[in-house]
Amino acid sequence: MKRAFILAASLLLMANAIASDMTDADAIVERSNLASYYAGADGRSEVRMLIADAQGRKQRRQFTVLRRDVEEGGGQQFLVVFSQPSDVRNTVFLVHKHLDRDDDRWLYLPGLDLVKRISAGDKRTSFVGAHYFYEDVSGRRPSEDSHELVETTDEYYVLKHVPLDPSSVEFASYTTWIDRNTFLPMKIEYVNDAGKLYRSVEVLQVEDIDGHSTVTRSRVSDHIGGGQTDMQFRFIAYDLGLPDDVFTERSLRSPPRTWLERSSD
Amino acid sequence: MRLWLLVLLLPGLALARDDDLWDDEWEDEEAGLPFAGFLEAGVGFRLQDDPLIDKDLTLGDLRARLEAEWTPGRSTVSLKADAWYDDIETGIEAEVRDLSVAFRAGDNVDVKIGRQVQTWGTGDLVFLNDLFPKDFVSFFSGRDDEYLKAPGNSIRLSRFGSAFNFDLVWSPVFDPDIYLDGNRFSFFSPVAGGNVAPSPPLSAVEPDEGIGNGEIALRVFRNIEGNEYAAYAYYGYFKQPTALTASFEPTFAPLAAFGASLRRPMGSGLFNAEVVYYSSRDDTDGTDPLLPNDQFRALAGYEWEALPNFTVGLQYYLEATLDYDELEANSPNPSFEPDQYRHLLTNRLTYRAARDRHTFSLFTFYSPSDSDYYLRPAYTYRHSDQWSLTAGGNLFGGDEPQTFFSQLSDATNIYLRVRFNY
Repeated sequence: MKRAFILAASLLLMANAIASDMTDADAIVERSNLASYYAGADGRSEVRMLIADAQGRKQRRQFTVLRRDVEEGGGQQFLVVFSQPSDVRNTVFLVHKHLDRDDDRWLYLPGLDLVKRISAGDKRTSFVGAHYFYEDVSGRRPSEDSHELVETTDEYYVLKHVPLDPSSVEFASYTTWIDRNTFLPMKIEYVNDAGKLYRSVEVLQVEDIDGHSTVTRSRVSDHIGGGQTDMQFRFIAYDLGLPDDVFTERSLRSPPRTWLERSSD
Repeated sequence: MRLWLLVLLLPGLALARDDDLWDDEWEDEEAGLPFAGFLEAGVGFRLQDDPLIDKDLTLGDLRARLEAEWTPGRSTVSLKADAWYDDIETGIEAEVRDLSVAFRAGDNVDVKIGRQVQTWGTGDLVFLNDLFPKDFVSFFSGRDDEYLKAPGNSIRLSRFGSAFNFDLVWSPVFDPDIYLDGNRFSFFSPVAGGNVAPSPPLSAVEPDEGIGNGEIALRVFRNIEGNEYAAYAYYGYFKQPTALTASFEPTFAPLAAFGASLRRPMGSGLFNAEVVYYSSRDDTDGTDPLLPNDQFRALAGYEWEALPNFTVGLQYYLEATLDYDELEANSPNPSFEPDQYRHLLTNRLTYRAARDRHTFSLFTFYSPSDSDYYLRPAYTYRHSDQWSLTAGGNLFGGDEPQTFFSQLSDATNIYLRVRFNY
């Protein structure tokens, strides 16, 4: 009886929280960041990308991503292991994301057995030929931009973000449409110095996985050069208990199969 | 020879695979490819004559690659093998680049046994503590960068701990570099006082294949807050045939090496530094004219993205020959000895366009002390996941005939490679 009361009360509180508009842009961004990148304490997903250029020529990439949060909302670790196509097979990308300094990133090239480190400045460039950037894999730090809530609609918080260091990025600003229920950014539009929309990211599908609203299809479009990359996520699992040592140089040469393989359940 | 059959089979297999799987549902099987590889044709030729070599072609390869992986139990067996027709040197060739079994022995130990390619150290195309075999002939003739690293047979034991990690590599039989032998490119001989292209090609005397004549390489490393520290040790032989036997045949002098490296972010780029001390084990006092002297080598580099998609890398490298007075005093030909201090500057420029569809790069080696240079321009066009094309050059020059890059002046070449990945 007591338990039922607590449940009812907390449901009421949650409903309240959803119904009331948030007005603090930084707080919305913070929740959105957590919803987008910090679901569960860790996670696994298989990803495939279909890259189409302006002429309609298509390329594919397929990989498995493991992620672990060092701290909720803070540092994170990512391991990306490629399975296709054949010329990037067994290539491994490792990211140590930090809040207080630039991320550390390594790329393992199996042909040369070479652990190549990627410089911090080299982050808004194509990730393995896709319209996605390296930075999109691990997420951009909220503290790198200033945020302004421009509109609250029935469905979305619409925010405008301006980089604090404009020289480090190719955009002048970007606008996000953040779902008021899930806090997932459903659309992001990037504008260049000329005020022209040149790049957008859209979420095409969201599914509930282990209680986390999770993007399972998304698309990045290039509005100047043409072309787009569709991204699809499958075999997603959260809270696997990934240990810290999965995200070290060891995993570059010897990917952790126990965690990369699909679980039986 | 059986590998060669694959060349005939592969195009058929490649066509059989549907390359637009996007509409399909993901199957419940694991995501990896059971096998993969490529077919490649490469041709390259000299931009001038080499009076010593009666061939205009510097690259003439038709190559098939097969890669496969099996995972019996908790181990991984991998295979990477090439079969190719080499128009210049040997006709039909086959080489296994990887045939190894890797497994985890306990929580913190990885073992990899078999034929494998290995790399460590921080230099970009400059190697100090990386004493694994390299194939300079492939490198100079315009084969894919991958072929700079030659495979070797070894046992690699890696231990990962909270304080330190280490790799221990034992190669029971010494694996030298693939050195200039006069077949594809002529090289400078101090005995002849000029370039030579011996026939049969130079074949240096290798150490006896006894236990104790192999190589042991050790790396101890740790990443502290993004700073990568490493210490290295090596016991084996110089990888190039820079020594002479008592009967004046080229051979590999015994070597022990000790070094260290650091790689860390600096500003928006990456800084790397590496040092190594080479001890010529049988000539520590530097008086034996048949053996190389001890050396100290140092490298410092910085790489950063100067403009979007445009990366610049700079390196300074020093090779200091120790006991130099003894070297000069005992040398039959002091004027052909290397300088006491050899300085080398390198520069890598890379520009990527259209999401890596086009990659332009220029790697430059320039030695102010040797007054010689080596330019490696290359352009890669990735047409699709299957087809790619690379065009480039290897341009050498210098003032004096005996310096490393200058001896290759007549090897200056351009090349074109077309690859089909399956």
